[in-house]
Amino acid sequence: MSASDRRVREVFIELSDTLVDDFDIIEFLDRLAVRCSELLGVSACGIMLVDHYGALNLVAASTEQARLVELTQVQNLEGPCLDAFTTGRPVQQADLRAADVRWPRFAAAAVEAGYLAVQGIPMRLRDTVLGAVNLLSEVAEPLSDDTIALGQALADAATIGIVHQRAVARQEVVTEQLQAALNSRILIEQAKGFLTHSLSVGVDEAFAVLRAYARENNRRLTDVAEDLVQGRLSIHGADSASDAPPA
Amino acid sequence: MGAGLSMTRDGGILEPLLATSPEVDDLDELQFALGEGPSGDAIATGAPVLETDLAGVAAGHRWPAFASAGAERGVRGTFAFPVGAGAAKVGVLSVYRWEPGPLRADQVKDALVFADAVFVLALDHRRGLSTDLDEVIEAAFTARRAEVHQAAGLVAAQQRIGVTDALALLRAHAYSSAVPLHRIATDVMAGRLRLDSDHVDGTAPGGGGQIVPPPTDPDASAPAGTPDPEDMGSPQAELEQEED
Repeated sequence: MSASDRRVREVFIELSDTLVDDFDIIEFLDRLAVRCSELLGVSACGIMLVDHYGALNLVAASTEQARLVELTQVQNLEGPCLDAFTTGRPVQQADLRAADVRWPRFAAAAVEAGYLAVQGIPMRLRDTVLGAVNLLSEVAEPLSDDTIALGQALADAATIGIVHQRAVARQEVVTEQLQAALNSRILIEQAKGFLTHSLSVGVDEAFAVLRAYARENNRRLTDVAEDLVQGRLSIHGADSASDAPPA
Repeated sequence: MGAGLSMTRDGGILEPLLATSPEVDDLDELQFALGEGPSGDAIATGAPVLETDLAGVAAGHRWPAFASAGAERGVRGTFAFPVGAGAAKVGVLSVYRWEPGPLRADQVKDALVFADAVFVLALDHRRGLSTDLDEVIEAAFTARRAEVHQAAGLVAAQQRIGVTDALALLRAHAYSSAVPLHRIATDVMAGRLRLDSDHVDGTAPGGGGQIVPPPTDPDASAPAGTPDPEDMGSPQAELEQEED
């Protein structure tokens, strides 16, 4: 087994570990986005889920820059995630500089941010498509078939994570979990906004502080976000993250 | 069988408010009195609870008292849809059926959309606004954007109010200034607009919005023409902004 095979195995074990107790969907999808970038040798990864209006919502991105590029897809209703979601099939564009007709606004934003190739992978559960995973690469070349297959396996892991169980889930469970994931994302955004004011930091740093606090205190990210926004918890910054009153 | 609406002041105890039939009112009251049931779980988790058979084993384990009382009355399908977003929790829409089995996918979607519309109406009610229906539907749709919720969190921290009141304040300012909610949110996040919660008791539509001078931080004011990174997927709104 090569080092990279070993790493793939480690990541799948890590991802399946999060399927047990104190599971946090946003934490899970965030970690998945970062691991996707690492394992697939791409520069960045974004994950989108569909809501009850049929609109895609960005729920995780491996980097802030990728988040901004991904948002141009949902803003302009064009791009590989939209296409992968609509068709239920993988979508590839090996050189985004040649995609000015296919996705004029998304391609321009991606190229400007330094991404030259993209791969969209649907998140499927039987005949339903829950969303899509997007892989962004700084090199203008197609991903290999092996890489795409591994990307699909990671997307399937994300789908299983959302459904929160390996057994074939009933549609009600899928709806409940999908809505829970979308609502968790909203809660995280509220907590980020809250911290930007109370710590006088930017949105990204607010998220980093929130995540660091959750990890240090071994708590679920969404629980920390809710306690913070409801005034049950104060966080005093990256270096002294603590719920003790300031000295 | 019908539908009911229960509301909460503080995100805690749900009180039945409206019901389409006496049977529904009775079931909502039962959940309230017993302190258990799909509605309470829906508001706690912020996600719908779709119980296809209240007489089934799973429901009996999950809500022993409510499941047996409900089954005695002959109710089977019991569905609860939270009215709220993130930490802002204002109520639950409940739906009951005599027959067991799932709601159709389009029925679930409709219920989720209705719950979003009720949320907007509840927010506007807090600020004494009477919003027309078209606007409620549009607002329900755009209220899901990330930037709106970041701004709600910021305003909550700044004004020391709850997120629900912060969202109501943002909505009211969008209404009175006729500027789309997500633009208000962008301005708040960029420090270009500060909302004042003096009138959070709901008597003054609009509240005090104050345009503040651009901060010295060059990152905080986005150059004109930059796409809004906060837009989280609103086909209607996007279609309207056909740009060059």
